[in-house]
Amino acid sequence: MELRTNRRNLIALGLTGAVAVSSLALLRPEAGVASSHREAPMIAGDPRNDNTDVYAFVSPDRPDTVTLMANFIPFQEPNGGPNFYQFDTNSRYNIKIDNDGDAKPDVTYQWVFRNEDRRGTGTFLYNNGPVTSLTDKNLLFKQRYTLKKITHAGTRTLVSDGIVAPSNSGPASMPMYSVLRAQSIKWLPGGSKAFAGQADEAFFADLRVFDLLYGGNLSEVGQDTFKGYNVHSLALQVPKKDVALRGNAGRNPVIGVWSTVDKWSPRGYVQVSRLGQPLVNEVVVPAALKDAFNALPPAKDADVPAVVKRVTNPEVPKLLQSIYGLKAPKTPRNDLVEIFLTGIAKANGPIKADLNSQSLNKDAGKLRPSEMLRLNMAIPPAASPNRLGVLAGDLQGFPNGRRLGDDVIDIALQAMAGAAQTGKLVGPLAAGDKVNKNDRPFSVQFPYIPLPGNTSVNAG
Amino acid sequence: MKTSATVRIAAAVLGTAAVLTLGAALIPGERPSPAVTGTSQAAGEIPVSATSVKDTIRALTTRLQRLPRDYQAWAQLGSAYVQQARLTADPSFYPRAEQALARSLALRPGDFAALTGQAALAAGRHDFAEAVRLARLSEAANPYGQGAQAVLADAYTQLGRYGEATRAIDRMMALHPGVGAFTRASYDAELRGDRTTARRMLERALDDAFAPSDIAYCRYYLGELALHSGDLKRATEQYRLALKAAPDFTPALAGTARAAALSGRSAEAADLYGTVVARLPLAQYVTEYAEVLSSAGRDPADQWALLRAQRDLMKESGVKDDLTWAEYEADHGSPALAVEHARAEYARNPNVVAADALAWALHRDGHDQEALPYARKATATGWRNALLHHHRAEIERSLGMDEEARRSAARVRDADPSFSPDLPALARFS
Repeated sequence: MELRTNRRNLIALGLTGAVAVSSLALLRPEAGVASSHREAPMIAGDPRNDNTDVYAFVSPDRPDTVTLMANFIPFQEPNGGPNFYQFDTNSRYNIKIDNDGDAKPDVTYQWVFRNEDRRGTGTFLYNNGPVTSLTDKNLLFKQRYTLKKITHAGTRTLVSDGIVAPSNSGPASMPMYSVLRAQSIKWLPGGSKAFAGQADEAFFADLRVFDLLYGGNLSEVGQDTFKGYNVHSLALQVPKKDVALRGNAGRNPVIGVWSTVDKWSPRGYVQVSRLGQPLVNEVVVPAALKDAFNALPPAKDADVPAVVKRVTNPEVPKLLQSIYGLKAPKTPRNDLVEIFLTGIAKANGPIKADLNSQSLNKDAGKLRPSEMLRLNMAIPPAASPNRLGVLAGDLQGFPNGRRLGDDVIDIALQAMAGAAQTGKLVGPLAAGDKVNKNDRPFSVQFPYIPLPGNTSVNAG
Repeated sequence: MKTSATVRIAAAVLGTAAVLTLGAALIPGERPSPAVTGTSQAAGEIPVSATSVKDTIRALTTRLQRLPRDYQAWAQLGSAYVQQARLTADPSFYPRAEQALARSLALRPGDFAALTGQAALAAGRHDFAEAVRLARLSEAANPYGQGAQAVLADAYTQLGRYGEATRAIDRMMALHPGVGAFTRASYDAELRGDRTTARRMLERALDDAFAPSDIAYCRYYLGELALHSGDLKRATEQYRLALKAAPDFTPALAGTARAAALSGRSAEAADLYGTVVARLPLAQYVTEYAEVLSSAGRDPADQWALLRAQRDLMKESGVKDDLTWAEYEADHGSPALAVEHARAEYARNPNVVAADALAWALHRDGHDQEALPYARKATATGWRNALLHHHRAEIERSLGMDEEARRSAARVRDADPSFSPDLPALARFS
């Protein structure tokens, strides 16, 4: 059934600090006409500073490298008003890596942006004619970036003049967007690549799945909530040794990855968004803790009892039991603690596998539990990737890192119902949200995420 | 800060209540249609407009029909109603807000978003002490929530608890620097007489804003800063930019009217006020309109009648607003009644604006000795507010305190060379 016509035009909306399920936009009503007194604006969404998804995987076409990607600014309507479809020039966008398991960043890749705006007051338009290259005179507005790598040894600038692949302003304006994309990819010494720019929203899911948290059930699914929208993406492809503990990916193959956005304030930068694994806000962190989660670094997670409690005693399995009669696995859910907070290793909990905990790194110290996406770089790219990842026997998949094609909703539901512990998929949940892949195919090379679309979501 | 109704209260809530989880977020199928603001849909054209509050309410209501146990959606809906009340100046939305928020709390007692909504509702009804109480409960439930801090900042300001307001703003800034925090930091600086920081913070807010309404808001207050410092040209330009961003942003139209009136163009001003009041008959605007009509030699009777009708509507809906009536009665009605209203207001909300209202009412009612300490209190924070200093100057003059009166008068000129004592409502800071 073609559901497009059911979906009304979406206005890109703000996301109030909450990451929600990656890419989830929050409704932000217009402040409209204020009364005469000083009604300060509502605390509304801040899409430019919103993490939506983080991905980390061994590059399938260059298996000696790892690809890290963080996406921002959800639900960008193609051809829609892009006033906030751009990175915030007052913020710092980070991808952070913990490779020794202490929950603190050992390597930080940081992007900072600046505008090149030649529009003046005459026009809002981003281009005044077809744009055939990134340096085309017709492209009136673009963003440039500086990319730095910060480690204990200091800070190094990797890119000082990168160009952000622009928002796709339509087939007439940008007839060959693929050219713009190709030009925006930066090659760095040592075989690394960097990218910043608009892309297709790669997350695929029917978010109505989570209505079950409010008395709904899994009956109405099958529609990709994200289909047709764009997102802004930051991506890096680097040799494994660049991010491994002691530069040795053989001894220390596991890295923990998360992304944050820091926003300028008169008293210094403030972390306003944070994301590691997808769906943490849906299945792990209770509503009252979302703000805290966005503000805190992973090193503080273990100090927040409510978070740990929610993982060890989660709500979703109880709901699945009441709705589907699926017996909720016994608490405390130490299997979920492994998945979400420590990484999977035989010594960490009941899941019988050494998969992706920093505790497996030979040179690592004591592990401090924290929420982050953990990737074992030693596991090679799968010949035939399975969207259900580890649960289907594809060890390269989520929760071992996250590939673009991993069906994290279904995987999460299965994990909640105990599949990781038993090693068997739960039958009644097999269909999941009935959205098994992205509407657009992924690319075979960096940055793998499809080009941004230029068809309105409501094009019918 | 005056103005009537509420003064600066953050409508914060809605967004805050909407710190959501997926469940409470509206997914595309539920979202209402965009309001097209630009003439062209080409990318890069006028920034996309965020959904109107009305559409939000509709979308949430639809969702709640399907999922009546979505406590977060109830909280959002309640907050949306509070916002709607503010935007339309129609307090009949408050009871609906109350119901939605109560449902949210019934489903999930102690939910921080619903508590923030209730705090904002209390603030909307001018019960600032209650707003503080509820906001602090929300804060306890979620110390990282900036919505509660926004309501606290605004409520403390109304209560004259300026130190606590500043601390709430600092906490907001430490949680999420953005339009909400910057605009409040701006006002905080303004109250302390630091116009430079006030302007800088508004510019930061403007930089962070992307929704047309927020851009308009920032431009408008940059305009007000300019207006009340006597720079009418710059003020007019900022109001123009506000209207460019959001053509239906009535406060900017009122600002334009103000600038015209203070520049001596009363016919133009009266025209503009006519439009303003037709769109949004807030007491503040109605009073300004009436004063401008009077000063232009025209009959303000209709406007005073409208004002009294507004008063009755507010009273019926449980909105306490003695401040507006204290100011109105002192300048245009019965000083004795003004004193009654002003005392009531000050007893509830002992802030500098209420102190000024009481001082002026007492003066107009012939009690200058009693008025003086209130006039001093009104000017104690350092606010470079011509009207407050003018009132103090008049009181000091009446008491024969010539030296002090001269100093106060000098402060009036220093604060705002374009200040006109015949148009006091126009000097009231919004």
